[in-house]
Amino acid sequence: MTANILDGIVLGFQLGLLAAGLTLVYGLGGVLNLAYGQMAVISAMVVAFALDAGVPALPAVGLGLLAGGLLGLFLDLTILRPVYRLRGEARVLLSLLLTLGVSFIVDGFLNWRYPLKALTLHIGGGAVEILGVPMRRGSLVASAITLVTFAGLFVFFRYTSLGRAVRSVIEDEEGARLVGIYPNRMLRLILVLSGVLAALVAVTRSMVTPVDTTSGLSITVFALIVTVVGGLGNVAGALLAGIILGIVNVVAADLIGSYISLIILLGAAAVTILIRPAGLLGVKE
Amino acid sequence: MSDRLTGGTGTSLIGGAEARASRSLAVLLMPIAAVGAALALVPLWLGGSRVLMGVAVLGLAYACYTIAFNVIFGSTGQLFLCVGALAGIGGYGGAILADSVGLPIVASILVATLAATLIGGLLSFVAVRRSLGVIFTGIVTLIFSLSFDALVLGLSDLTGGDTGRLIKSGADTFLRDRIPPYYLMLTLVLVFLLVHGLLRRAHVGWAFRALRDDEVAAKLAGVDVARYRVYAALIGAAMLGLAGSTYAFTEGRISPTTYGFGKVDVVVVVMLAFGGIGTLFGPIVGAVTFTIVDEILIEFGQLRQVAYGILIIILFLRMPRGLIPTVSSLWRRIRGLEGSGAAKSTDSAAGKLEAVSGEAQSAE
Repeated sequence: MTANILDGIVLGFQLGLLAAGLTLVYGLGGVLNLAYGQMAVISAMVVAFALDAGVPALPAVGLGLLAGGLLGLFLDLTILRPVYRLRGEARVLLSLLLTLGVSFIVDGFLNWRYPLKALTLHIGGGAVEILGVPMRRGSLVASAITLVTFAGLFVFFRYTSLGRAVRSVIEDEEGARLVGIYPNRMLRLILVLSGVLAALVAVTRSMVTPVDTTSGLSITVFALIVTVVGGLGNVAGALLAGIILGIVNVVAADLIGSYISLIILLGAAAVTILIRPAGLLGVKE
Repeated sequence: MSDRLTGGTGTSLIGGAEARASRSLAVLLMPIAAVGAALALVPLWLGGSRVLMGVAVLGLAYACYTIAFNVIFGSTGQLFLCVGALAGIGGYGGAILADSVGLPIVASILVATLAATLIGGLLSFVAVRRSLGVIFTGIVTLIFSLSFDALVLGLSDLTGGDTGRLIKSGADTFLRDRIPPYYLMLTLVLVFLLVHGLLRRAHVGWAFRALRDDEVAAKLAGVDVARYRVYAALIGAAMLGLAGSTYAFTEGRISPTTYGFGKVDVVVVVMLAFGGIGTLFGPIVGAVTFTIVDEILIEFGQLRQVAYGILIIILFLRMPRGLIPTVSSLWRRIRGLEGSGAAKSTDSAAGKLEAVSGEAQSAE
């Protein structure tokens, strides 16, 4: 049981990190970025090609993160311009459709040009025992990166004035504007941050399973589900939802079998949405 | 077919002002018959090739799915992202009932369709009860889609898992011939169009429009929003189950990709958005266009997807309401400008209003 829960938490960290970048952009700008998984895949490809070219692992990952950030900036400067002019549900729908178009372009191009390319980061060394359970070193490093990232996000949003400015926009866009915060600048910042987070997703995921050119859709879909379960725009909620769903999935996989466990995970997500449409840590509007 | 055409094509009504109270049944039937006659000629042109007929039958199946999605999403604003899953319940259900249980084909199709109908209705009922918005309905139905997919992959002794399932029933009947399946699917398309057209004319249609345009106002005017949403979902899901099941029997082999999310739902959303959400003939325009474009671009393989991506972006930036409303408001504007003062009836004024609002929408 301890082993299950530890595995579940490791998976949960992955799911939580997956959702973090998506939930910020949705919460802040009402923009649903369906090209989120593709941002992760492109970053993974950048890392993979850098490694092929003989760049050492750490700088290669750095290049991947940079690529993710630039992709976020690129989306903000191009395709999302017309989206920002809309409000409410129309904005969500247009952003969803336009980024769906972007995801098609990225997927189509990558599958055509580099159909077999995949990123796998090998973390050397054997299993490490935690609470008497042997854990793969790759998942531990991935979890550590996730924890540091969430700690960083927490500090950023709570203790820096820039982070507070971003939160003020999430809570009340008009109010933020009145006290001299430019919502659009905050949004650009968050899109860059979301791109970096997508790249981190790709990197940590590749320590456990290969990230290939077709991974985009499933990354986006799971990020979306965890986002909604955790509460839109709520980073802590994303982590909590990720961990709960991760534990549910691993325990169900152990008790019943692997494909039903996915269905149970999805069912748990659906039930949470139906019982608490605002999400686990969301505030009812 | 052709003698029904002599009364005129009635093209000006395609996607036109839907709030015209005085149209008679003939005005509804005429354009549907015209569409039927035009599509009925396709086998004369492609009939020699089994491959191309297969493509055409798939195109008609997509037309069916898109009409069904239009009934659910276009009429009542419920974003059902489980089009493929509901069609798949029809397809897999029908195949299992016919082959493994041994029911006659027609009975299998009907039972599977009933199952899809009830599940679609249940999804809608839950969404309505919890008053989920567009996005949340989308997510819950998306979760249902993924669960269905996992189930199909998991129950591999029933469904054939990843490789798919061959359907033995009907193998030596007209269902597997070259041309008859096309006319069978075409019949479904026309029946679905007729059902949707009749719905729009009946009081149900007024309720649909009212609750889609302004839910609160509709509620205040006494429209039972919840009930009509569930009605639309039941009708749409029945169409999906029936089309998915029929297609499975004509195809003879189904696999998870036949009803996959990326293969059906995404395509259907794009087809409907291209043709015009909420219009009667938008699904046909979208399905026909994309089937042809897909066939033209087939040699580009994966690069086709890039072309679709670019197309989607241009489409939603330039004409967010879809082809039919854009063209018809343009047409009405031209007519309004050319006509004399008397010709500027309320009709063209409404057209202009629509065109202006369309411009505002795309200029924003």
